[in-house]
Amino acid sequence: MFDRIRRLPWFKPADERILENRAYFKDFDQTRPLTDYSFVVFDTELTGLNRKKDEIISIGAVRIKNLQIDLGETFHRFIKPEKLDHTEATLVHRITPEQLKDAPPMEQVLPEFLSFVGNSLIVGHYVGLDMSFLHRVTEKHYNGTLMNPCVDTIRMAQGYKRVMFGYYHEGGTTNSRYSLKDLSEEFNLPFFEAHDALEDAMQTAYLFLYLIKKFRKGGLITLRELYQAGRESDWRVLSSG
Amino acid sequence: MSLLDKEKNEPELFAYDSSTHAVAPEVAVSFFKQSMPFKELSQEVLQELALHCRIDFFPKGTRLFTYNETEITHLHLIQRGGVRAFITGEDGEVALKDYRGAGANIGALGIIRGTRANLNIETIEDTFCFLIPRDIFLDLVRENSAVSHFFLKSFSDNVVATAYHELRSNKLSRRSSDDLYLFNVTARDLSKALFSISASSSIQEAAAIMARRSIGSLLIYADEDPGSMVGIITDTDLRGKVIAEGLDYREPVTSIMSSPLKTVPASALCFDILLKMMSTGIHHLGVELGGSVIGVVTSHDILVQQGNSPYYLFKEIVAQSEFQEIHSLGRKISGIVRNIINEGAKAGNITQMIALLNDQILNRILTLLQDQMGPPPLKYSWLQLGSEGRREQTFKTDQDNAIVYADPADEGEARRAEEYFKLLANRAVNHLVECGYPLCSSETMANNPQWCKPLSSWKAIFRKWISIADSEALLTAGIFFDFRHGFGSEQLAVDLRDFVTSEIKNHSPLPYYLARQCVANRAPLSFFNNFIVEKDGEHKDQLDIKLRGLSPFVDFARVMALRFGIRETNTLERLRLLHINEKISKDLYESTVDAYELQMQLRVIHQLSQIEDGREPDNYIHPEELTDLEKQMLKDAFSVIERLQNVLDNLFPEA
Repeated sequence: MFDRIRRLPWFKPADERILENRAYFKDFDQTRPLTDYSFVVFDTELTGLNRKKDEIISIGAVRIKNLQIDLGETFHRFIKPEKLDHTEATLVHRITPEQLKDAPPMEQVLPEFLSFVGNSLIVGHYVGLDMSFLHRVTEKHYNGTLMNPCVDTIRMAQGYKRVMFGYYHEGGTTNSRYSLKDLSEEFNLPFFEAHDALEDAMQTAYLFLYLIKKFRKGGLITLRELYQAGRESDWRVLSSG
Repeated sequence: MSLLDKEKNEPELFAYDSSTHAVAPEVAVSFFKQSMPFKELSQEVLQELALHCRIDFFPKGTRLFTYNETEITHLHLIQRGGVRAFITGEDGEVALKDYRGAGANIGALGIIRGTRANLNIETIEDTFCFLIPRDIFLDLVRENSAVSHFFLKSFSDNVVATAYHELRSNKLSRRSSDDLYLFNVTARDLSKALFSISASSSIQEAAAIMARRSIGSLLIYADEDPGSMVGIITDTDLRGKVIAEGLDYREPVTSIMSSPLKTVPASALCFDILLKMMSTGIHHLGVELGGSVIGVVTSHDILVQQGNSPYYLFKEIVAQSEFQEIHSLGRKISGIVRNIINEGAKAGNITQMIALLNDQILNRILTLLQDQMGPPPLKYSWLQLGSEGRREQTFKTDQDNAIVYADPADEGEARRAEEYFKLLANRAVNHLVECGYPLCSSETMANNPQWCKPLSSWKAIFRKWISIADSEALLTAGIFFDFRHGFGSEQLAVDLRDFVTSEIKNHSPLPYYLARQCVANRAPLSFFNNFIVEKDGEHKDQLDIKLRGLSPFVDFARVMALRFGIRETNTLERLRLLHINEKISKDLYESTVDAYELQMQLRVIHQLSQIEDGREPDNYIHPEELTDLEKQMLKDAFSVIERLQNVLDNLFPEA
């Protein structure tokens, strides 16, 4: 009986990394200026979109500190999935099975990635999807999930456009106007045909930098203000600048 | 506050150690590979450099550096966007120094010299920059000669000279090695040994020396001073003035000499000597060095060495008495342009030369027509308008011309004049077409009765434009107010110019409106690969060098000339006179001339290469046609436009 309870995942004590992470973000101060925070912009490559079955096969990430992309701190790994044979057919075309055969497994990459992320805030384009896959592997390996606050560049872009151009009729995230490519074109960002997760993360970092500095010019100074602005439909603060 | 100021005390504490397996992001390395001077570096160095870089974003209107305040912690390399560099004077006046776009860098000078920012820098577009830390950049400069050379070069005054050299050597393939003649050979090189005889000698004594030495000319010096040349005699003088006239050989040589002796400085280029010979008709010139004449240069010597020269063409045109021959010679003029560009002519020289040739064509056509039709009933002046009026044509563009004739005494004379000049103009315009000068689409030509009028009518037309300064006047100013005499009785053109000058002096609003038009005409420009380009439309990402580049200079010179009663129409000449009359500073004058000539040069070369490719020449320059240095210089040239507009803005303040 006792044994059986112990085998249930929610009963296992979380890994030390997870506990530290929880402790750090328990009383996280959101009132400091945006420049004080470090962000990690990341993107994953998946074998598919099924959150139960599919796996992460690549992670790319770049760090933003002082609201600048730090090219010396980037992260890029391929990950050998547990079911390599099964996934071959469904692989995203830009990763070949060859690249995955010799790649390290998740239990080796995950601690590296968590240490890269550290106490940074997490940024992603439609970040919820990547986070749900990440949560699944941290649950599995560390019995818990990361508490780092996440920022979704799609939501930022929606808020920005709402204020700048008055788009009140939001069509949701599937709207093609909000793909990374479309937004990069719309805002005239440096754009490169992405080949891997790192380049997607880099492109997302450009978008994040663009949006957050546009917000900041509008008077948005602290992290809390950024979050509040994201929630409110009327993002008046942006247009004041 | 600058973002950079904030960054200074940023701690570099991050738990994750990426140094062992970090991959330099391709985005940075590939950008460096396209940017001067980083593209000179090896792949390994670029990878390493990229790892030390950061990327920052500065929304439009962000102040990056503040003059004498900002400590420069990073070299900024613009990835996307553009900035302007400027200085604010004590009186708050803003002097624009530069525009910089993608591929350009900011802060190099300050880092290398170890000073604070020497300019204010502000983004004029949303701008992404790569930030290279100061110490890393200094290491690069120290360790890599290509990098240090680039920055030293870009700080030096030699940029202009280098770029002209590059223009010449890169853009056009040479046809033969002796092409460089016109601009490499000086009067001193061409000068023949000096032979002279005293003024008291006889004609026979002079002829004897010429025969013994086999020379075609002989200088005459003042008796008391063998170093002082008072005149020259030539074979032609002996033939025409002595033998043909039966003059006594014992007469003093001074009776047949040409005096005073016309000279050119020893340093004068072959090209300038030719221009002088063409415009004066004098074929023997003394060569002067340090105040004394050291030799003689003759047109014959130049022609012998220079088979297919402008001068050769000029002489052929002068000698023609058949329309058909003139037509074919007229069509050869464009070909001359290539030769003299190859030889290193600046555009200003080229247009002078072309104007002389065009005038000679006109001269022959009208002279022959008058021979056909009989003398005109009244004196007239054929006016050249627009770019031909400014002597700024290179490749042939539409005809712009008009006729002004003396006021007729009575009705009958008026009718005869109208008929004669109408016929003359019709035929002349057609012959000009045959010579390769196309018709003007808006019919601004002498064969249009509207533009073939007696002096008093012309005065009425100009008076209306000058006093009302309506949109028609502003529109036509660029064509009509740049008129000059082309052929006939120059006095009529002079009278008309006098009238225009004095009418404008009389409190005309015209210069004011023209000036405001110039100032308002700030171009909607953008940056593409560190290059100023059209933002929208059919020619997006190209530069209309005529409209954006040259017109502001031409318009500025015209407004100022009209305002200050300068009668000259040529832009460079107008600028020179404005400078001499202290209407513009020496510094502004020199920058303006450099900027204007550079753009004329780029345009001529652009069009020439189109013509050689069998395309219609246009004014749209593509960034990829230019070297980094040329782009740099074009931006310098554009910053001058802003200065010119400031001058106009101050002189003609907005009401």
